[in-house]
Amino acid sequence: MKKILLFSLFLALPLVAWPALPVQHGDSAYALSLSAGYGYNSTYLSHGDFDISAFLPVNPYCELQADIRLSTADVYSFGFQARPKFLIPVGCLYLQTQILYRDLHRNLFHEFSGAVSLGYRMDYVDFSLGCGMRLMRPFALDYHSTEQMVAEPFILTYSLRVFVRPQSADWNLYFRLSDWDDFQIERVWSPIFGLGAWYDIDSHCRLGLMADCKPTGMFHLNAAFYAASALASFSYRF
Amino acid sequence: MRKSSYLFLLPFFLLTSCADPDTTDLDVAGLFSGQSERTNVRFTQSMAYNDSVGYPVIAASDETYRVFVCTDTHISDCRDNLEYFISAYRQALDCPLALHLGDHIDAQTHWDFMDAAFTDIPANPLKHDTCLHLVGNHDLYFGQWTTYRSLYRTGTYYAVVQTPSGAQDLFIVLDSGEGSLGSLQLAWLRQLLDWADNQPFRHRIVCTHTHLFKPDASQGHTSNFELEETYELMSLFTRHQIELFLSGHDHSREVYNLNGVTYIVLDALEQKGNPAFYLELTLAPVASSSVSSSLAYSFVSVPDSVSSH
Repeated sequence: MKKILLFSLFLALPLVAWPALPVQHGDSAYALSLSAGYGYNSTYLSHGDFDISAFLPVNPYCELQADIRLSTADVYSFGFQARPKFLIPVGCLYLQTQILYRDLHRNLFHEFSGAVSLGYRMDYVDFSLGCGMRLMRPFALDYHSTEQMVAEPFILTYSLRVFVRPQSADWNLYFRLSDWDDFQIERVWSPIFGLGAWYDIDSHCRLGLMADCKPTGMFHLNAAFYAASALASFSYRF
Repeated sequence: MRKSSYLFLLPFFLLTSCADPDTTDLDVAGLFSGQSERTNVRFTQSMAYNDSVGYPVIAASDETYRVFVCTDTHISDCRDNLEYFISAYRQALDCPLALHLGDHIDAQTHWDFMDAAFTDIPANPLKHDTCLHLVGNHDLYFGQWTTYRSLYRTGTYYAVVQTPSGAQDLFIVLDSGEGSLGSLQLAWLRQLLDWADNQPFRHRIVCTHTHLFKPDASQGHTSNFELEETYELMSLFTRHQIELFLSGHDHSREVYNLNGVTYIVLDALEQKGNPAFYLELTLAPVASSSVSSSLAYSFVSVPDSVSSH
């Protein structure tokens, strides 16, 4: 019975809070977003996150996004995304290109990662599939080291978002399953689950709430809870 | 069952955390919640045992000695490779300690057959030796922590090997069956490393089952440590002068030397037709001119005549 309860709780965890992207790609207006959130994982324990995101639609065929996250866990993330879009009769095909830099100051490590995914966006569903890579490098290298860094040259990246209303709606809820977000590219077998929501106060202001849950060992280890976070955001569209 | 039904089952084997290849039993719930206790519970149980009996101190007969290490034996109906390994370390007069890094068995019914190998092969009357065991993911499927615990009592502990001159080497054993040490075990590790900083250990070695890095797809669809924990552990090991980090799980050898720490992923010793290897560590007094020469390792292959059974 305890197992069933734990299992149910695990499934229901994303339902207790509403995640949403601070900015919604596909918009045609410039937007700036500020977010604050609380996170917990078994390694850092409790930490707070503060994000700034800028969304820059260059033209109908390309949009850019820049993200900064400052975490009280002494981890600082900087991301840049470029999304060329290919308009087709039904939906929108896009190329998600992303580069990330993380300064894991608490561990004296740099992390450089990048990914390219091909995505398809419709009113209710948005999914992408691609590949990425990662470099892990210490701040200072011991001269005995034979390796300069650790490279993970191939990471399969995936993302699926399912919305309850069309993405152009002024409020929405969605479920997300992916191994990456604006601030991290995880390993393929470490999925991130989330539910999200946004509400447009008017044509300029959007409120968002997001919650993510990251289990550990889901694939052929002893699966268990690892991390959860909740984030509230305010976006202003110019 | 028709072949098409097996095709239907394939995604479940890929997705579930606990698929028993022999009985085709599936632990579908294991995808979200493994049947063994969570790592914090296992750690608490391990500490209760450690507190009652203490931590092992193993006597070496010389200042320089060898440690034999194997992993991922995945015993089902054949244990020839494991027997070869046990015979090898028992015949080595300079080996006071052997390590099994986890995944002892392949399926839940094979514990007795696997463990009997350690009693069926006679001990060497010319020396004492100890084999320390670590818990792997296969040892946890289907709630098998209970069985593991009944055999080996603890999954998190440390052992000290003491030489005739009183010099000591530290071996830290961690339970990483979830891809995370969990908050309690990580706190214990930090405390232990702080304590070890003030002790005159010659060598400090950390052993666990799950590997840290994912440089290739050699282990296919199995997960490993979470990224945050990967960085946290690498940082701890460098800061506390851990010389060697030993792991398995991947079945494919990797060696990294980064910031004073050598990270080794051992080949599997399983009986599946692949070349099987184990590791021999040689620990010697720390040389004044070169630290690296006092800790050497070599991979030893199991002869084809044994592993091809």
